[in-house]
Amino acid sequence: MDLGKIPNDKKLNLCKMYFRVGFAFLPFAWAVNAIWFFNEAFRKQPPYEEQKQIRKYVICSAIGALIWGIVLTSWVVVFQIKRSSWGEFADSISFIIPLGEP
Amino acid sequence: MLIKNFYVVFLIFISLYIVHCNADRIKDTMYMTITGSVACYRRMNATHQIGCSSKRGGSVGIIHYCDTETDLDFVLHNGTAGEYIPILPTKLFKTSVANKLFKNKDKISGLILHPNNEELSHFTHDTQCPNALFSSNQSTCPEGGWNNFGTGLLYADIPFPIFYVEDENQIKQMKNCFLKYNKDAFAKQSDRSLCALELKSFMYGTTNTPTCQRRSNMVTNLNPIKVCDPLGDSNVWGTLFPLEKGPENNSQPIKNFKYIILSARLDTTSLFEKTSGAESPITGLVCLLTAAKLLKEMSPKWNPNITTNVLFVLFNGETYDYIGSQRLLYDMERGEFPTTLSINNDILPSIHLDNITLFIELSQLSLGNQIYTHVLNNTPDLNNFIGKFRDYNPEMNVILVPNSLPPSSLHTFIRANNTVQGMVLADHQYEYRNPFYNSIYDNVSNIDYQYQNGSDKIGSDSIQGYVGNIALMLARSLCEQIAGNFCNQSTVPDLNLVDELFHCYLEDPNCKVHKAVQKGTLPKSPLSLYVGVENVRNFLPNIVALTLAWFTGERLGPSSSNCTIQHRNHIYRYYNMSTDIDNLEKMSCYQATVNLSEAVSPAFIIDGYDWSSNKYSSWSESSWNEMGVRMFLKPSKIHERITLAVGSITMILSCIIVYFIHSRSHILFDYPDIDSVPTNC
Repeated sequence: MDLGKIPNDKKLNLCKMYFRVGFAFLPFAWAVNAIWFFNEAFRKQPPYEEQKQIRKYVICSAIGALIWGIVLTSWVVVFQIKRSSWGEFADSISFIIPLGEP
Repeated sequence: MLIKNFYVVFLIFISLYIVHCNADRIKDTMYMTITGSVACYRRMNATHQIGCSSKRGGSVGIIHYCDTETDLDFVLHNGTAGEYIPILPTKLFKTSVANKLFKNKDKISGLILHPNNEELSHFTHDTQCPNALFSSNQSTCPEGGWNNFGTGLLYADIPFPIFYVEDENQIKQMKNCFLKYNKDAFAKQSDRSLCALELKSFMYGTTNTPTCQRRSNMVTNLNPIKVCDPLGDSNVWGTLFPLEKGPENNSQPIKNFKYIILSARLDTTSLFEKTSGAESPITGLVCLLTAAKLLKEMSPKWNPNITTNVLFVLFNGETYDYIGSQRLLYDMERGEFPTTLSINNDILPSIHLDNITLFIELSQLSLGNQIYTHVLNNTPDLNNFIGKFRDYNPEMNVILVPNSLPPSSLHTFIRANNTVQGMVLADHQYEYRNPFYNSIYDNVSNIDYQYQNGSDKIGSDSIQGYVGNIALMLARSLCEQIAGNFCNQSTVPDLNLVDELFHCYLEDPNCKVHKAVQKGTLPKSPLSLYVGVENVRNFLPNIVALTLAWFTGERLGPSSSNCTIQHRNHIYRYYNMSTDIDNLEKMSCYQATVNLSEAVSPAFIIDGYDWSSNKYSSWSESSWNEMGVRMFLKPSKIHERITLAVGSITMILSCIIVYFIHSRSHILFDYPDIDSVPTNC
């Protein structure tokens, strides 16, 4: 969808919808929202009425995606490092256990 | 259009023709498979993993053929072309060299061993005190160990794959490749293509048995795969007298029997996926079978005055912490031996540890004029019985070794109840005479065995004569113990049968004895004596059980199809077998009290077993997908880099070209005119 071709109020609705959907544990929706609407929120000239609100959603989405990213990355790092020493617990929360590794 | 179609069909035919002519696959022209290699693989117990594994997809290394340890040192110090795979004669594979290889594990990606036709003085990789963790507390391992030459490498976690290649032609091919490409100008090795090997023996299981068993049984796993299997197979047991009395349809169990156990082990192991096992366990096994046959021939028919029965047991998996004996004892303690019928049923008696008055185990035997009887707790009864040995065999020097118990199944029973009276008969006092214990070189030449094929020249100075002599001594003593003066003491062992038995287990499974007891065709090479995993049963226990049934069974009459469908009451087995080893066509119907019992460690059947308790054997074997060795010419580093660079440049160039074509597409291609633009845009 080309954002340049839709009216401003629909843009705001779309941005708002992506932001809300992100609360359903979908950080990628926030990431997409932040990147997709970045130009609309900060670089689009001349300013328009809904831009301020879009900016708010984009910033919130970006922060949310960033926090998710940090949390997920640290969990992945911790899990990969500690998996073998956690033993049975680590196996029980795994769906795929690599073969031939402790 | 027609012409175009014609061209397509023509091209397909041409390509089919070309493919048909050159059916060689690229991989076949690149790689040469090394056949007949046997790998070292991984096993686990409750706490450790042992053995070898390659990397996933195979470990690759440059061949370095070594004749001496100096050659090996040279490559470890001066090697410049990445990881190497040394080819060593087995003679060099000793503790010092192994430690050197382990220390340089980043320079070594694998190892090939070959016999090199050299005479070895010793080669045993079991520990110096085998199965020490599961021995009775009272017994100690002598200074220097039972297995004095033992390196313990069988129980080491080896960081690279090892393959054993017996075929010297294959070794010669690797050597020639090494001489042609690798040997000269060693310092400049990294600049040229080198002869390399790829060893594939990737093991799925790791860490220890609890871990791999847990992972094999995970429900949430998206990739359910068995990563390891418990070691186990079957024990073979049989009795001299039936366990029940009375007519066929109204039989009663004989409940007040006392039992003498005559046992031997049925398995061995080695560092590789191949076993020999001549001295351990085949000498003991053959001696037990011979003694069982003699005992059957010399003892009278059962009558109510006979209160003692003989239980012949061949334990399987004893090499791996006494799997078979632990399971038999576990079954006995639960009243599930010989069957799982309820205790005090009216069909069969259950045999308990308390019913066992004497336990005699046949360990390793080898040519000599003495036999050592190891006794942990000496009692007048045991002394009395050993006295019988001396009476019946004055030429044999029967030496009592008090307060001593070499690794044997008896340990399991004494651990459970230290009042069990038992002895172990062996060819050694405090140190094994077998320098190849649990290795691939424990073969016929280790026990000086030569197949005589029915000749009457088998002397008492041969291994056959010696084993026959021990069997006779045992049979006479046992018979006197159970039947007093009613034994036919003139019975003598048939040395040709002893000879045949050795031939069956060590050389040719399609031997006369095996043809007499069953009519199937067996593999050409000797049957494996490794216990294996519980879900893939070996044929060995079956064929041993049939042989024991033949030796101890009752002949009911000529063979018939009615023989094997007779009244079955859990205990008797009926078989049509040849009557005489020299006339296999003449068949009789045999009734025998012989059966198999589970030899899988109780650790794997007890729910919620505490693995740290060290109560039962916990060995399991890792699963794997493929194993093999192949040789190829590995391009030099520069060659590899150029290939990568050319590929990368081509890709980048094509991206640039596509970008330019795309951006100038309005010049290059004619667009159809668009008459009307949609109103919405």
